[in-house]
Amino acid sequence: MNSILQGLIQAFNLILNLDKELFSIILLSLKVSGFALIIATVFGLPAGALLGLKRFPGRDLAISAANTFMGLPPVVVGLFVYLLLSRKGPLGFLGLLYSPSAMIIAQTILATPIVVALCQSATVNVDPIIRQAARTLGATPRQVTVTIINEARYGILSAIIAAFGRVMAEVGSILIVGGNIAGYTRVMTTTIALETDKGNFELALALGIILLAISFSINALLHVVQKKGTITVS
Amino acid sequence: MGILKSIAAGLMLILIIGGTVSAQTRIKCASTTSTQNSGLFEYLLPLFEKKTGIKVDVVAVGTGAAIEIGKRGDADLVFVHAREQELKAVEEGFFVSRHDVMYNDFVIIGPTNDPAKIKDTTSALDAFKKIAGSGSTFVSRGDKSGTNTKELSIWKKAGIEPAGQKWYLEVGQGMEKTQRIADEKRAYTLSDRGTWLATKDKDKLDMVIVLEGDKDLFNQYGVMAVNPEKFKTVKYKEAMEFVNWIISKEGQDAVAAFKDKNGNPLFIPNAK
Amino acid sequence: MKLSVSHIAKAYEGRTILKDCSYAFDKNGTYVLMGRNGSGKSTFLRICALLEQADGGIVTYGENGAALQPDMALKRRITLVLPRIGVFNTTVSRNVAYPLRVRGLSYAEIESRVNKTLAFVGLEQKKSQQARTLSSGETQRLGIARALVLGPEILFLDEPTASIDEENTWIIESIIKDMKKEGRAMVIMTTHDNAQAERIADRVLVLDQGFFQPDKSN
Repeated sequence: MNSILQGLIQAFNLILNLDKELFSIILLSLKVSGFALIIATVFGLPAGALLGLKRFPGRDLAISAANTFMGLPPVVVGLFVYLLLSRKGPLGFLGLLYSPSAMIIAQTILATPIVVALCQSATVNVDPIIRQAARTLGATPRQVTVTIINEARYGILSAIIAAFGRVMAEVGSILIVGGNIAGYTRVMTTTIALETDKGNFELALALGIILLAISFSINALLHVVQKKGTITVS
Repeated sequence: MGILKSIAAGLMLILIIGGTVSAQTRIKCASTTSTQNSGLFEYLLPLFEKKTGIKVDVVAVGTGAAIEIGKRGDADLVFVHAREQELKAVEEGFFVSRHDVMYNDFVIIGPTNDPAKIKDTTSALDAFKKIAGSGSTFVSRGDKSGTNTKELSIWKKAGIEPAGQKWYLEVGQGMEKTQRIADEKRAYTLSDRGTWLATKDKDKLDMVIVLEGDKDLFNQYGVMAVNPEKFKTVKYKEAMEFVNWIISKEGQDAVAAFKDKNGNPLFIPNAK
Repeated sequence: MKLSVSHIAKAYEGRTILKDCSYAFDKNGTYVLMGRNGSGKSTFLRICALLEQADGGIVTYGENGAALQPDMALKRRITLVLPRIGVFNTTVSRNVAYPLRVRGLSYAEIESRVNKTLAFVGLEQKKSQQARTLSSGETQRLGIARALVLGPEILFLDEPTASIDEENTWIIESIIKDMKKEGRAMVIMTTHDNAQAERIADRVLVLDQGFFQPDKSN
């Protein structure tokens, strides 16, 4: 119990003193997950909206696939990306393994199905009357699509926030493809794993506290956005 | 209550009698975790016991701690790989009869095509200087292990501070993982020969040894007995039996014959 | 602009809703289309508003004696207000501005027309309110405003006062009457309410069994 208390005290010290190592790790976490989210949104939002708004053969299959892939185990994604990027693998010539880029790739793979599936859900749940209203008011088909996506904006924002929360908290994929190299591919989650293993609890606890705070904030934000998106029609 | 007391007394009697009958001599040896992890003791000590009937109990801790245990007289002999510290402790009068026993060595490995031309260097010092000078990527274990300590000592000797430089990657993990990262990153690293031999084919590393054999890359193991004049209770006679055995031809042959699970000899005997 | 329909027929899933409907909407004013539930009033309206294709018959818009092509330009001169208003999740004024925005009008133009229209339907006080928080009567007025802001020449209203309170019903009827007064548009609407029809209609059509009953004029 004593060592836990000790660790907690030293953890707060690190946080309050704005320890350089601590904050560079946090920054890297935000950068890696942030970039992954941006890419996932750029590809996933249009894809999700397409699945939500257009009917085409294979649509149901695609929607099922997106929803299924939401449950991709991070460590399996890590394994897959590792095999892909290692020198002996098909994309080995890029030399990307054990770098932040590899981590971004892995997290993008994890985040994209979440964005696609939840954006699909958000757009499909827009009241069909909106589409009719937009049409009667003279919107072109392209404008109608934009209008529906705008109507779904809270759901879409929720999708992005949810995906971000998921990748910020994961360790399985980035540990494998990042290599946990100090100051280079070491992020909050992987550092916690490493330092706990080594018995260095101060840094692990400090990061754990901050990661908790970040996770909770993300979830709180998600809750607020979801609430805002459900103003009841009178 | 009466029955339990009798049973307890009976058991104690048996233990005492049993203990005295098999009055086997046991001595305590303080050593390091990495030595123990290599499996050397499991191999060597039964041979010694068979010859002399003396059982050696090994206490495996970090190098510094092992020497401390000897200094406190809580062990009869010390078997570590920290030559300077050992000699110092002998000078201070804590130990006697220190002898070199064996060494394992480190190797500098790098990408097969050796872009920084480290193969052209002849010393570890020059090799490290060249790596730093050319900004070639170097992967360090960064975990305060024996290998890491050796690596850092070479940097220090070369007057280079690698920490924080862009080309210097600290992994914080084991040797095999460190090698694989170096392989992927087309980087150089310091490894121990045992791990290198055991894993280079298994992990299909596209790497070669670029420098070996330099004295700086030697990891010298030494044995020394705790000074009986400092601690009367220490089993000096038996400890010296071990010292003498391990530096004898028989002991040295045994060390040379010790192989890891892949058939590679891990230590090179060099007692004089 | 005039509208004339002849021999309109429409069936859904095998059931014939409209059998043979012909009419000429040729004078400005308020046309009220009546009939029982399921008689096809909404369907007829949508066909007239070029939002649905009839199975048979033709819909002709004419101007100065010549027929107009049913293209985007024509479609932008007529508007249908649905019985259930699809309110966008934003402010009242943004909702009313929508049809102008999709046509690419300037900000200043939009601003002035929106304000004028909101005043016309009596919602100017609520322009910054979230549109989804309006009462059902206010929502209907919003729907009408959204349609009116375009200055359509023909306005189709599908059950504009169904299930809203008396006060708002009265307001909407006033709006329709005002529109006639200002010569703003031809209004073609449907309703259940006989009394309402008597109050505001210039012409009443009754749809029954897929046909129009003989014309009754006020």
